[in-house]
Amino acid sequence: MQQFAPLALDALNYTSVLLLVSIGLIIVFGLMGVINLAHGEFFLIGAYSVLVAQGFGLPFWIVLPIAFMITVTVGLCVDACILRFIYHRPIDTILATWGLSLAIKQLMIIIFGPGAQQVSAPITEPAVIFGVTYSSYRIVIMLITGAITVATLSLLYLTRFGLAARAAMANRQMAQCLGINTRLLDRTTFGLGAGLAGVAGAVMAPLMSVDPQMGLSFLIPAFLAVLVGGAGSPLGALYGSAVIGTSNTVIASWWTPVIAQIIVFSLAIVIIRTLPAGISGFRRS
Amino acid sequence: MILEISDFHAGYIRDANVLQGVDLSVRAGERLAIMGRNGMGKTLLVKSIMGLVRPSAGAIRFDGMAITGMPTHRISNLGVAYVPQGREIFADFTVLENLRLGIIGKPALRSESFDQVFEWFPILAERKSQRAGTMSGGQMQQLAIARALVGRPKLLLLDEPSEGIQPSIVHEIAVTLNRISADEALTVVVIEQNVEMVERLSERVLFLENGRIAEQANVHDLSEDPSVIERYLGV
Repeated sequence: MQQFAPLALDALNYTSVLLLVSIGLIIVFGLMGVINLAHGEFFLIGAYSVLVAQGFGLPFWIVLPIAFMITVTVGLCVDACILRFIYHRPIDTILATWGLSLAIKQLMIIIFGPGAQQVSAPITEPAVIFGVTYSSYRIVIMLITGAITVATLSLLYLTRFGLAARAAMANRQMAQCLGINTRLLDRTTFGLGAGLAGVAGAVMAPLMSVDPQMGLSFLIPAFLAVLVGGAGSPLGALYGSAVIGTSNTVIASWWTPVIAQIIVFSLAIVIIRTLPAGISGFRRS
Repeated sequence: MILEISDFHAGYIRDANVLQGVDLSVRAGERLAIMGRNGMGKTLLVKSIMGLVRPSAGAIRFDGMAITGMPTHRISNLGVAYVPQGREIFADFTVLENLRLGIIGKPALRSESFDQVFEWFPILAERKSQRAGTMSGGQMQQLAIARALVGRPKLLLLDEPSEGIQPSIVHEIAVTLNRISADEALTVVVIEQNVEMVERLSERVLFLENGRIAEQANVHDLSEDPSVIERYLGV
């Protein structure tokens, strides 16, 4: 037990952060049909928000809601200035969001420089859990991401807004015929998705080197998680993140991160080939 | 007039109009059927009323207001409800969730009491926790109609409500709709090829042929002179 506990905790930690990133991707894709290649840059903006805020001496715990608000605002601006004109043209949205991701990265390089920067963790004392000594900050990350995930899934599955959003994901035209303003839902969910990625970037900033390329390291596994979990349901993000996050962490600890990536990609291909609608699609059928 | 359509031209593809100058008016509380062969533009016409298809020319007025080019959700909020061909219920959602979706986009309606629709369609009350996709075709059709009615519409658009449903249920739905229309002063426009449904439900029938209203008849005249049906439906 003591041998496997740190590994299980690492897997849970990676999965929970991956879930915050992928849930935004899945609701934006499900609702608007937009494959948002700039989603990793919302993660990036969240991380840089922490860097700037710490520079001003703000406590880390206040920075988290600030990072959320900043990325929500950026997301709303992206929707208002770019996506609302092209969301019904899927190929164009891929090109536009890719272009946006390049622009945000370059903007970060201009402002902060190309190098990696460090953010200090708010707590550094180790904690003892399941009889093993483990990073207390990582435990806090799991608690924060867990709470945000529960809040997000509750919003999607227990509220009128969530019911309307899931209806629009299932049949956008019929939702409009029932009086639901799908454009308002688009804006709200895009902002929310961006905010979740921003929070993920903010909580991960002390554990990673903050640099302009860091968004990509979460964007690719998040896309894999969406494909494996199934893009038809917000729960797909949960299933996909669990499969990708756990297998990546476990295999990387046994072999190397490179072999882990090869195996995880192969596993994803097998799952997508056998379950085209992902795990959530298989469960529904 | 609750609905007025004038010189209406529209098509699914640009510059290829299927509807070529449709003119029609519907009185408040009237039950109107629109009949015609496949491909004559019946579904296109109701989709245009809902704002799902942009016209190339012409105008639609609902309750005195020009709704041509208006977003679909706003047309719905003005009091136009739509039961599409194939029903398009949310199969993964429960019956109750489907009904809640009928009022969720309507700011004026805050109450979530479905007693009235459960009285009209008792089977829905029995199955309110059931996943909608697991019900029979007739039950799904009743759910689609109930979902439209909970939004308290002034005009109900039905596209082929009898399609794929056993005759006894078709009869039952027609009788129920007739009663609801009379009790609630609800205007009903039904696209239909099932003569029995039209006779049970509607008062007046329009025949759509080559993108225009070719003829209209009182529904009682149809049973006396079936040649009109033969001419426009080929049956």
